Order: sequence, then structure tokens, then C-alpha cells
Amino acid sequence: MKQNRSVWDKLQGIDRRILYSILMVLTSVPLFITVALPVDPDPSSKDFYATLMAVPPDQTVFLQSDWTNSTRGENGGHMESIFRILMSKKQKFVIYSLADPQAPQVFRDVMLRINQERESQGLPRYKPWVDYVDLGFFANAEGTTVSIGNDVRQTFGSRRAKDETGVERNVFESPVLQPISKVGDAGLFLIVTASNTIDYAVQRLSGKVKMACACTGVIGPSALVYYQSKQLEGVAVGLKGVYDIEYMMNYGLNVQGADGKTMVSFSEKPTVTAPPLTEGTKFGRGSKYFASLHAALGLVILAVVLGNVGMFASRKKEKQS
Amino acid sequence: MILAQLDPRLNFFGKAPYSLELWGYVTAVVVLGIALIVAMTKLPTRARKPLIWTSTFLAGGFYVLYWLWPQPVGRGPLDLPRNSVEAMSFWMSDAQVKVADVANILTAFLLCLGIYSLLRVHTNRILRKHEDRFFSWVLIASMFGMLVLGYIDWRQRTFLDKDGKLLEMANWGFAQFGKDLLFDGLFQQMDAAMFSMIAFFILSAAYRAFRIRSVEATVLMISALILIISIMGAVVYGWNNMITSMLPVDSAPVLNNFKISEIANWVRSTLQTPAIRAVEFGVGLGALAMGLRLWLGLEKGGVTV
Amino acid sequence: MQWLDTGKIGIFVTLLMVAFILFNIARARKGKKELFIRRIPGLNAIDDAIGRATEMGRPIFMVPGIGTLNAISVQAVNIFAQVTKTASQFATPIRMCIADAAVYTVAQEVIRDVYQRQGMLERFDVDSVRFISDRQFAFAAGVSGLLHREKAAATFLLGEFYAESLIFAETANSIGAIQVAGSTQTSQTPFFVAACDYVLLGDEFYAASAYLTREPVLVGSLVGQDWCKIMITAAVFLGALFHGVERSQVAAFEWAPYAEANEAAFSALSDDAKEKVADVQVQVPSSAERQGIQALKKGNETMLYRIFNPNPSAEDLVIEREKKPPPPAAEGEEGGE
Repeated sequence: MKQNRSVWDKLQGIDRRILYSILMVLTSVPLFITVALPVDPDPSSKDFYATLMAVPPDQTVFLQSDWTNSTRGENGGHMESIFRILMSKKQKFVIYSLADPQAPQVFRDVMLRINQERESQGLPRYKPWVDYVDLGFFANAEGTTVSIGNDVRQTFGSRRAKDETGVERNVFESPVLQPISKVGDAGLFLIVTASNTIDYAVQRLSGKVKMACACTGVIGPSALVYYQSKQLEGVAVGLKGVYDIEYMMNYGLNVQGADGKTMVSFSEKPTVTAPPLTEGTKFGRGSKYFASLHAALGLVILAVVLGNVGMFASRKKEKQS
Repeated sequence: MILAQLDPRLNFFGKAPYSLELWGYVTAVVVLGIALIVAMTKLPTRARKPLIWTSTFLAGGFYVLYWLWPQPVGRGPLDLPRNSVEAMSFWMSDAQVKVADVANILTAFLLCLGIYSLLRVHTNRILRKHEDRFFSWVLIASMFGMLVLGYIDWRQRTFLDKDGKLLEMANWGFAQFGKDLLFDGLFQQMDAAMFSMIAFFILSAAYRAFRIRSVEATVLMISALILIISIMGAVVYGWNNMITSMLPVDSAPVLNNFKISEIANWVRSTLQTPAIRAVEFGVGLGALAMGLRLWLGLEKGGVTV
Repeated sequence: MQWLDTGKIGIFVTLLMVAFILFNIARARKGKKELFIRRIPGLNAIDDAIGRATEMGRPIFMVPGIGTLNAISVQAVNIFAQVTKTASQFATPIRMCIADAAVYTVAQEVIRDVYQRQGMLERFDVDSVRFISDRQFAFAAGVSGLLHREKAAATFLLGEFYAESLIFAETANSIGAIQVAGSTQTSQTPFFVAACDYVLLGDEFYAASAYLTREPVLVGSLVGQDWCKIMITAAVFLGALFHGVERSQVAAFEWAPYAEANEAAFSALSDDAKEKVADVQVQVPSSAERQGIQALKKGNETMLYRIFNPNPSAEDLVIEREKKPPPPAAEGEEGGE
């Protein structure tokens, strides 16, 4: 019976191990190739970049990091780009996590890596206490978000950090948090997330502070709902979002390059402009993984097409017999 | 709640950080908490019901009142309330942070119960010489290994390393290397490995599910394919440029609508987003009704029994 | 002068919805007429799945998601209580895998109680309700391992799921288990649809306990929710209609004085307040409109937009209050040192 199976029958029931092996090879090989493929960033990514670049340099950015190593393919790239942008703009920021106790260690690792990279490029390190404050993890994401909206000084007030001299002090004595008396004093409330903490943030803080979000592809559809209702200023979704940001870090938004060519234009909002970054790495994780993403998605399309072709062919065969 | 809002110097926990006095208070409260939990587990089921309902009603009542009561507008850190309504709103807004803290502390106590369950299941397996007892050994060893090394590392970094030497790997000791191996070297990587398995599962699920079996399945497949292609930046760029090159200069013809990004944005904003909103309305209403039933003790059977 | 405090509309609508739900609960309790609930295939499959597990002598797996103790996990545990009730009658083994310590405590109590009520406490296995891990992927690995080792005949994945949803669904699929799944997370429902046999969509998850038990309180609450949905649908429809009609109106004739007053009010605000009322700035009409040239209303100029996006005036935002004397040490932090 097994010998009588036609090619079409086989196509309908390809062993999952074969599919998995092809996927592994197809996604692993392009990882060794870094290519700067041309792209037209999504409108939500354009708004994300424009919002981030438009924050006045003297205002502190709140950065909520709710991702762990599992989603580093996407959120790792978001985080690196955000750090690079903030550091290039000399923007002060406060960083903390609500979703997972693992998350602080993960953003600290990214911070360390970017700082080392900057040092190797002859750029100054971003220093804790002076340039940024790391508040660590807060349990009970929803309760803490309500508290942040209600009284940020009380919510973060119990945290202490070492100043430049190594003396532990209340974080609100730091240059980063000193000007903050309510969440609305932040230049931007930025969430990098792989979970529903974006829902809590929008539900509890909407209207109190400007918000933007970088999230995984899976969370993207629900985050885009808030973008469409203008509760989020911009959203960078998944790996495409990472690459979109990197692309704009290189070419800016609605700005002409040296050759007089506008690489990224925003036809819906022609007045919104954002310059490219002036220092540091611009193409990073996004450009490393972008080819792999194409290969993986190409394989998914191929698998769907083959499955359907097989199904139709065997149906036809059944009818004939 | 009220105690916590007293003057910091009179406050029960307003002692100097890391002082012996504070440690004493913390230990006493932990012991008291455990005693309370043990006492509650000994209560007969009949006596538990009113207790559960009362605490649910009080906790929920606070948040309901907090939400209904007018919020203070433009409140500064040193502002005094102008009238009794504002005094109440100031009080509730201060108390909310403390209530959130209480919830966090309760979660910590409950985590101990979870760990107790885990240890009970796995020690039983080891004692009964279950065939998979090796995994139970691994679990217990990893749990205590991470706990001990994590604690030593935290203690050294927080109390002993005044000038941040431990930020450099060259100054690391056994605890730092051990924690790094267990957390960054093993745990984080295994976490990422588990997540990456989803890629394989997505492939096999897509292969199985996206078949043209009915009209609905066809619509699902076509919209999925459009959105998949829209994430392939290079393909979209090429296709869109091709469309642009076909357009006559200075016009806005219909052809523009055939750009993949346009079609994908249309699918997202016209089909996907409203559908998600509709589902969210239903889910939100369900949660509202469920919360209401729990708060008012209207549920019979199940959780409120 | 603002006659209506538009900031309170949300509260009013919510209280109206609460009233709908409570009224219908009261109505159902009187029990004059049995209220109708449409057929939900995923819930009809529960008995089949339990029957299959009983025949095969293999366990039923239940996972209430990885969320904390909230309405979603409580509802999942409630549904599982019903599943356990049926399973206990046939002595079908159950496994409930839990990722949150608080949910674990509640679930264990509920499941024990189900067996007790059925008079079969001896069939209750203390280890059938297990805390696996509160780490997402450690939990995913643990549950997948258990599914494989114990060869589950049926799996119920109901609750708050994230990336682990597909891992569970595909693992259960690979061992041939019947799967009933439902998540309140819209981002995970597509995975369940692609990989599971039966899926509860959106609020069907909340309808489940009413459907299974036909308890008047639950059924009444469900009808109340439907009333709320009708109200929301009507609001969306009327909102779109009125907003559309209003936007087709000419907005130019009274703009000039309004704009001047508005502009004056805006410039009187403090910088801090200006940021908050950015909408006021948007509403200042263009010079073309001020000259009386006819223009259509913009999206943020309609009455409906203003009802839901109130513009606080300068007086509303700046409130003079007496100040307390500043504390001697900064917030008392150094008090004990």
C-alpha cells in the first residue's frame, strides 16, 4: 500500500522531521550573511523612530523591559537599537522590568555589550546613576503599572542605587530621576515587551504620558490596535520592526542623503522628519537576522503551497478512480 | 495600609535599611505570616467561605472605590487636601501603592507553597525509586544550586563590593562564575531553545492547517499569506518598486492599491484590528462579569465553592 | 462653561454594564423562564474527550495558562472543576499543571472539593494538581515532558497562554490527544485554531461555565453580557454614523472667534499644562478657515470626539493647595541612620 503512494500523497504528509531539518538549515545558513536589504519600513515603525528621535534631550525616558532571552531574536534587536539611539542622543533613561524576574539580567547583558562596543569605537561608556538608572524588577505588573501612573516617586522611591562614588542612595537623588515628580514628566514611556504588559500600560497610563512600544511579532496585532487608536505613538513589531529601525538609524526618515536621495519617506506624514544617527553602530542584529527571516517565511509559504497542491492532486485522483 | 502611611519615623518598617532592627521586624512578620497561613489551612471548609468572601470583598472594594472616587488633579508631593473629598482621594491614592505591595508579599508567601508542592512530588519520586527519578534529582539539585549561588552572588555584590569590582569578569569568584554558568550559560540558553522550537511547530502547524478545505479556510490562508509576504521586507520593496515604475508620473492611479504594503495595511487595519477589538470587547465583558460575581460572592461551585 | 463632566462618561457606561449584568442575574435567579445559550462545539467535545480517556485508560491534562490569579485563571479552574466532576465519576486520572503558586493553591482546593462533593475523596490524588515552574519555558518543557511520558488522551488548554501555547498544542497533537483549547489572548488564538481540535473563541471561554452548569447566576450573567454587547454595538454604529454626518458639515462660519478665544486660553497655560492639552492646539483652525473659507470638520473637531477626549481648561489643571512643611530628611529614608 505504501509503495502505491503517489508524489501528491507524499506531499500531503511530509514527515515533520524533514520539514524541521530543512527549516534548521535554511535559517541557520543566512545567519552567517549580514546583508543590508532595501526595505520600506512599516508606518508604525516610522512613527516609532520619529517619536524616539523627537524626545527633547533633557527629558528622561522611561524604558520598561519586559522580555527575556527567549525572545532575544526580536526584543534583543529592539533593545540594542533603542540603547544605541538613546546613547547617541545622550538621553538619560530609567530602566526596569515588570513582567519577569529574569528580565533585568537580560537587559543588563545587552547594556554591557553595547557599552563595550561603544568603548571599542572610542565613544564614552554610558554610566549608571549619571546617565541611566537601573531599578531592577517589580513584581505584580498590573499593580505596579497602576502605582506608576498614580505616584511614581512612591513606586520607585524604595529603590536605592550606587552613585558615582559607590555610595548607595535613593534613586530619586540621581540626575536621571531628580526632575521626575510624576510619570508625565518623562519624555517618553517606552516598552519593549513579549507579553501583555503593553495592555496594562495602555490601560493604566494612557493619556498620562507619551507611549511607544517595541514588541514581538506575536504581540504585534494587539499592539497595533493601540497604535491605530493613537494610544501608542509608534510600534516596532518583530524582527521586521528591528530592521526597520536600523534602516532608519542609517538613512533617517524623510531626510535626503548626501546623494540627494530620500531612502525612507513617509508619504502619509510628509512633515515628520528624523535624522539618521551620528555615531555608533547602526546596522546590528536586525540586518544579521533579516535574511534568515526571509528564508524561514519563504519555507512556510512553500510548505503551504505544496500541502495544497498535494491535497488537490490527490482529490482529483480520488475522483478519477 | 494605614500603618504604612504614618510618618516614616513612626512607621513600622521605617527603620534603617539593612539594620538589625529591620531584619528582626521582617523575620517576625514572616513567622507571623506562615503561622497565619497554617492556621487558615486548618480551618474547616465552612468557616473558610465567609473568610474568603470577606477578604475578596474588602480587597475588591478598595479598588472599586479607588476607581469611582474623583482623582486628585495636579497634586504636588507636598500638597494638602482642600476638602474631605480630596482628603479621601489623597488617602486612597497613597494607599493604593501599599495595597499593591501587600499583593506582592502575598505572592511571595504563595510561591513557598508552590515550591513545597514541587519538592513533595519530586522527593516522593526519589523515595519511591520511580523510573524517572534521575530528573527529580536534577530538578532539586538545580533549584538549590541556583538558590545558593544566586544568594551568595547577590550578597557579595550588594554588601561587600563597594567599588563595583565585580562588574568586571576578572574579579569574579566561585559564586559569580557558578551563577553565570547556571543562569546565563544554561537557564537562559535553554529558555531560548524552548522558544525557538516554536518556529518548527509554526511550520508544521501552518503546513497542516492552511489547506483550501472551505471558503473560510481559503480566506484564512490568503490573508495569512499576504501578511507573511508583507514581513519579507526585500520582497515587498521589490514588488512595490515594480508597481511604482509602472505608474504614470503625477497621478494617483488605482495601481497603487496593489502594493503589498498597501494590501497588508488594509488587511491589518480593516479586518484584523476591528476583529481583535470585537473579541477584546467580549473578553473584557466576560472578565467584568466574572470579577463582579467573585467580588459579590455570587459564584456557586468552582473557586468560591 | 462645561455642563457635562465628560470624564465621567466611562464610569457611567461601566456602571450601566454592571447594572445589566446584575439585573439579569436577578432575573435568572427568579427562574421564570429558562434562558437560551447557543451550542458551543468545543464544550460539547468535553464529554467525548473524557470518554476517550476513560476507554484508553490514559490521563486528561488540564492547563489553566501561565497567568497569575485573576479572573481568567479563576474561570479556567472553574471549567476544570466541571471536567474533573465528570472524570471523577469514571475514575479517569487527571493532571492539572500550574505555573503560578497562587493559582496552584486555589486549584488544589477546588479539585479536592470536587472529589469530596462527589463522595470520592479516596480517588483524589494529591499530586494530580502540580506546580511545575513559574518560568514560562521551564513550565512549557515540564508540561510537554509530562504529556509525552504519560501519553495524555485529552488536553484542555484554557486560560492565559503566551508563546507556550503552540508547544503544548503541537506536543499533544504528536501523541494523538484530543485537544480543547481557548485563550483570552487574541495573539495566541490563531495558534490554537491551527493546531487544536476544538477552540473556544474570545468570550466563549467565559461562557463555558454557564454552558456546562446552567447555573441561573452564570446564565443570567451571560445574558447581561449580551445586553452590554448590544449596547456597545449600538454605540459603535451610532458613533460612526454621527461622526460621519458631523464631519460632512461645514465648520467655518463660527471658527474665527472660537479660535481666538481658544488660542488665548492656550497661551495662558503653563508649559506643563500645554503639553497635557495638546488637543487645544490642534483645534486652532488654519488661517484659511479663519477667513471664513468653508472647510469640513476634522476628525478631532466633532462633538463625539470631544465627549471622549475632553479638553481640560487651564483652571481645571492648576490647583492651588496649601503645602505641608518639607520633611527634615529626604522622605525619611535616612531617618534610622
